[in-house]
Amino acid sequence: MEFDFAVITDHARFLASGVGVSLLLAVLSGATSLATGFIVALLRLYGPPWLKPAVVLYIDSMRAIPVLVVLVWTFFALPIVTGLTMPPFFAALLGLTIHLAAYAAEIVRAGIESVRPGQTRAALALGMSRSQILLRIVLPQAIVRMLPAFGSLLSITIKDTAIASVIAVPELMRQSETVAGQSFQPIEVYTFAMLVYFAMLFPVTRGVDLFYRRVAHLGRS
Amino acid sequence: MIAENNSGGRAKGTGATIIRYRGVVKRYGAFTALDGVFLNVHAGEVVCLIGPSGSGKSTLLRCTNGLESIEGGDIEFEGTMLPRDERALRAVRQRMGMVFQSFELFPHLTAQQNVSEGPRTVLQMNQADANQRAAALLDKVGLADKAPNYPSALSGGQQQRVAIARALAMNPDVMLFDEPTSALDPETIGEVLSVMKKLADEGMTMVVVTHEMSFARRVGDWVAVFDAGRIVEQGPPRQIFDAPTTERTRDFLSHLGWSG
Repeated sequence: MEFDFAVITDHARFLASGVGVSLLLAVLSGATSLATGFIVALLRLYGPPWLKPAVVLYIDSMRAIPVLVVLVWTFFALPIVTGLTMPPFFAALLGLTIHLAAYAAEIVRAGIESVRPGQTRAALALGMSRSQILLRIVLPQAIVRMLPAFGSLLSITIKDTAIASVIAVPELMRQSETVAGQSFQPIEVYTFAMLVYFAMLFPVTRGVDLFYRRVAHLGRS
Repeated sequence: MIAENNSGGRAKGTGATIIRYRGVVKRYGAFTALDGVFLNVHAGEVVCLIGPSGSGKSTLLRCTNGLESIEGGDIEFEGTMLPRDERALRAVRQRMGMVFQSFELFPHLTAQQNVSEGPRTVLQMNQADANQRAAALLDKVGLADKAPNYPSALSGGQQQRVAIARALAMNPDVMLFDEPTSALDPETIGEVLSVMKKLADEGMTMVVVTHEMSFARRVGDWVAVFDAGRIVEQGPPRQIFDAPTTERTRDFLSHLGWSG
């Protein structure tokens, strides 16, 4: 069997644009999932009681439904329900966010609940209000404790962007499929895709680990 | 009731009553943690609460600044009943410093920031003044050089001294100590006790839950012995340790190997 990796260099610009779209989608959906996850977690912990069942139902259902199904539904079914069509990229961003925010919310909730109650008592004893305690005492420690889990979530986010290829988002996987189909060289093209995903993810997971090791003591009460 | 008449023989009993516990009852479900506690704390006094674990001493302390609510009786602080709503309670808590068995320093803040946090957020003091106050208090507890350190880089005794400075930063009228040396290595207990002794000498009103009998005897002005949610005996340390009047006090002290 002969390999000819010239196919990669021949389509370098086309594949690079896919990498760009993958990264953009990963960064944006990572940010929106995180922000949404914080809001969902705070609603679950401190929100009005009537809202909690809805929040719990959302989290549980997103953990039970495959991300592929959520994505396809967002792209093909949501426009029919709402009458609004979305470009594939935004449908992917929305679908990934809806799905990943549920996981982010559980990470945030676990982080907040892991801060020992004595910290809250100490802050109460100083005369601080509940909101001051959450913002200044509990959340800073909780965020440090959440870092490893956020690192995992970020790598899942990057990997999940590949699923956006099914709704024709021109990201790395989609572009690779196109090149592989045209060149009849799936081995070279998909091997390249794997290496690129690894190159994107490895520094992220290692970087988060290293950073966490340096700041872990700030969350240790 | 004998427990209510407790001003006789108090060295500093001439000061105004700062805290008055009247028949305080606290229940956790079916368990009665406090079963009618009567006690007065006068200005400038060091009142030590002693007794076996689970007898209600720490619970009483937590009820004092409203960290726990009470089911019966009442607690008066500086002439007013302890309020029930959060906002009013916060105002009261500002005037009571509290020190915990497990320190509870904020791990994401340096020693200096731990001490200035209360003045900054609760008293809305500006950064410079709060820092100055923190520096002065760290110096007072002998830790001026540890100001930039995070709690994780401090020993237990140092952490507890920072915690005392943190409580003092609010300029409290009373200091509540909840077994402040129980989580410490024997060699660091002394440094914390000597800071507490210094505070007592300066006239700070203190309520101290402790298992350090020699501290209670040496520094305490008034000692209350707890058992099963009640005060079984209270009086000046001389009475409690040398001539206890109840069997429970004698039992408790002999279990500790106290020989008078």
